[in-house]
Amino acid sequence: MASSRPGPPEASAPSSRLEEILDDKLRIQELPESDHEYEDLSPQEEAHMAYLESVKIPIVDDFKTESTEIQDETLEVVLPFLEGNPNDFPLNEHGIPHLQKEKHVKFLKKALGDYPAPFAMMDASRPWIVYWSLQGLSALGYDISEYRERVIHTFSLAQYPAGGYGGNYGHLPHLAATYAAVLSIIMVSTPSTPSTYDSINRKNLWHFLGQLKQPDGGFNMTTGGEEDIRGAYCGLVVISLLNLPLELPDDAPARKHGLTSFTDRLGEWIGKCQAFDGGISAAPGNEAHGAYAFCGLGALAILGAPKHTLHTYLDMGALVHWLSARQCAPEGGYNGRTNKLVDGCYSHWVGGCWAIVEAAAAAAAPSPASLWNRDALARYILSAAQFAKGGLVDKPGKRPDAYHTCYNLAGLSAAQHRYLHDGDAVAEQGLDAPFGWTPNGSFAGSRVWADADEVGLVHPVFVIPFGAVRESRRYFAGKNSF
Amino acid sequence: MPRSDDATYYHDDPAWGDVTPLAQDDGGLHPLASIAYTDEYSEAMGYLRAVMAANEYSDRVLALTEHIISMNPAHYTVWLYRAKALRETGADLAREIAWLNPTALQHLKNYQIWHHRQTIVDVLGSPAGEADFIATMLEQDSKNYHVWSYRQWLVQRFDLFASDDELRWTEAMIDGDVRNNSAWNHRWFLVVGGQGGRLESRRLVERELEYAKYAIRKAPQNQSPWNYIKGVVRAAGLPFSTLTDFALEFADMRRPDDIYSSHALDLLADIYADNEGSKEEAKKALHLLASRFDPIRAHYWNYRKALLEVPETTA
Repeated sequence: MASSRPGPPEASAPSSRLEEILDDKLRIQELPESDHEYEDLSPQEEAHMAYLESVKIPIVDDFKTESTEIQDETLEVVLPFLEGNPNDFPLNEHGIPHLQKEKHVKFLKKALGDYPAPFAMMDASRPWIVYWSLQGLSALGYDISEYRERVIHTFSLAQYPAGGYGGNYGHLPHLAATYAAVLSIIMVSTPSTPSTYDSINRKNLWHFLGQLKQPDGGFNMTTGGEEDIRGAYCGLVVISLLNLPLELPDDAPARKHGLTSFTDRLGEWIGKCQAFDGGISAAPGNEAHGAYAFCGLGALAILGAPKHTLHTYLDMGALVHWLSARQCAPEGGYNGRTNKLVDGCYSHWVGGCWAIVEAAAAAAAPSPASLWNRDALARYILSAAQFAKGGLVDKPGKRPDAYHTCYNLAGLSAAQHRYLHDGDAVAEQGLDAPFGWTPNGSFAGSRVWADADEVGLVHPVFVIPFGAVRESRRYFAGKNSF
Repeated sequence: MPRSDDATYYHDDPAWGDVTPLAQDDGGLHPLASIAYTDEYSEAMGYLRAVMAANEYSDRVLALTEHIISMNPAHYTVWLYRAKALRETGADLAREIAWLNPTALQHLKNYQIWHHRQTIVDVLGSPAGEADFIATMLEQDSKNYHVWSYRQWLVQRFDLFASDDELRWTEAMIDGDVRNNSAWNHRWFLVVGGQGGRLESRRLVERELEYAKYAIRKAPQNQSPWNYIKGVVRAAGLPFSTLTDFALEFADMRRPDDIYSSHALDLLADIYADNEGSKEEAKKALHLLASRFDPIRAHYWNYRKALLEVPETTA
């Protein structure tokens, strides 16, 4: 999913900023290695440097390749942000920048506004921009109800007459656009405004999804489009949240191959996406990748309780090993693949996997305090992924966008909160499992964020606020057919 | 993006005189994230909506879709409609590939172009020329996910699993950067994926073990070949202890100052965990990882330690 993000075309030119930062760093390195260099360091900076020293991997290979070259360059860009405070943000009691909530709110509100002509490249991704912005604003505690009418209007134009949503009026329906549209609508709706929920043509959407279900169990992204694990996740999210019938429509092509339900062969298909190294890939045989891992786990967490489905369809030991290896040292943020670079968007794609994995792992071992390093991730997000003027980024030197802002904040939320999945509280039928999650308090271990830096709860599977999940559930649970 | 002075318009083009464009009507409220399209883009989209509504598939539709793609290559609707128009008009698909090549090079991270290419090459029925094109793409970005996924599709579609060329090319990619995990994944796809996920030939198992060991000796802290070698052992149905001597080359726990790979310690922890009598050794390896050689993952290593206490059946 990472690659579907629309970068602002050309305009971004992060390279010039990157060079600026690199130059600064080089100048620092030109100073002689002597004690007085350290006299200028504040006690806080010294503490940060000692911390970074304590979490790095002490083994470095002499043999250099392209991968190590760009990793070294990246580290040079990132480290000054972890050691000091080049953006001059106000610091919290741990000497870490406060979350710049007001600036990020301003950035996301602007992201919902108008775009000049060169952004035509994002035409097909407009539903994503709306979803990322609304979800980011919600995580920041901003009341998004002021956008209700315009959200409904925006998606009424992008709803395809025969079902599903596209990027805009006249676009063909696409599962990614449909996922983003449905989540956006649900976020601004309440049962007291039923017309907002009812703006979604559920029956036609069900037929559209029927066209996407494949004989091998997976989903295409659009009619005649690619089959990958985004389809499995986006499809199940929509079916589950809108309480659509699990039965395939009569005109679904997969029926000719003996399938009768949207869930037929799906768990097995997701299992085939687990790569030899334990990670999860876009489709069977492809390379393991963080964003696809989240899609796979999200889909399995809708098919049933994680403590059952993850163990049934995946090699859990290999999965946890691979997920754990995605945390970069000493950066603390995540990368998406083995030997790739840290990127703030994986704060969610990988960081968001842990709630689901921990719910499954708890069944196998004495419940661990935490399987992953929440503190290190929060450090990366607060220190290195906040853009000076608002919005969050991939890494220092890159421009902010709604995508990185949304998923850095979701990752920060994942680090700050704990969740429980009660598989017994929900009937193990239909796709009820994702409604069994409850918040289980703030993470109480070692932490670098202040109370003021906390962001809101994010539902571990649907990646929208809990309240929106609860209310839409209440509304759609009563709709047994169309 | 073409400037307005060399823009293409349709309203005064006699070839389009019979079509009434379907303009976009945003209705009363101002939509969110709306884009101030150029007149050129707006008009072209109006004509596209009109031909789509009429199910027209023709040469002029191909020209129109090419025009819109030049302005917005991430527009899946246009790609899908173009694919259908190519089919319906019986267009020259070799020409389509020739047109696609520079477009793909300009837009490395685009899903649509790759899916479109796959559709075309599938109908063409031959992978000829594709390897060269892929090589050009990987020169720009040697780990491009779409390119590697497309390569895997080619191998599957044209049954290239046993192809010597394919294996040699993959080795050259690993030679170029032994840390290119995409290339390691492709080797796995060829060698093990081609065997349905099982490695039964002793000769293949030996060859793959030697290959991975050679790569690890070049750079012992590179995780890709460690994951690969563990995968080979698993796919061959062998115990991890097959690799004990090899792992000890890089991590002799009696001499913690001479440890050259955290991944060797990780593997030793797996090896020792397999045997009731060596669980203390496994704990020692995990302790070294948590406290010294990979501390950012201390919670994970401690979790592995806790799992050692759990009876086999539930772990």
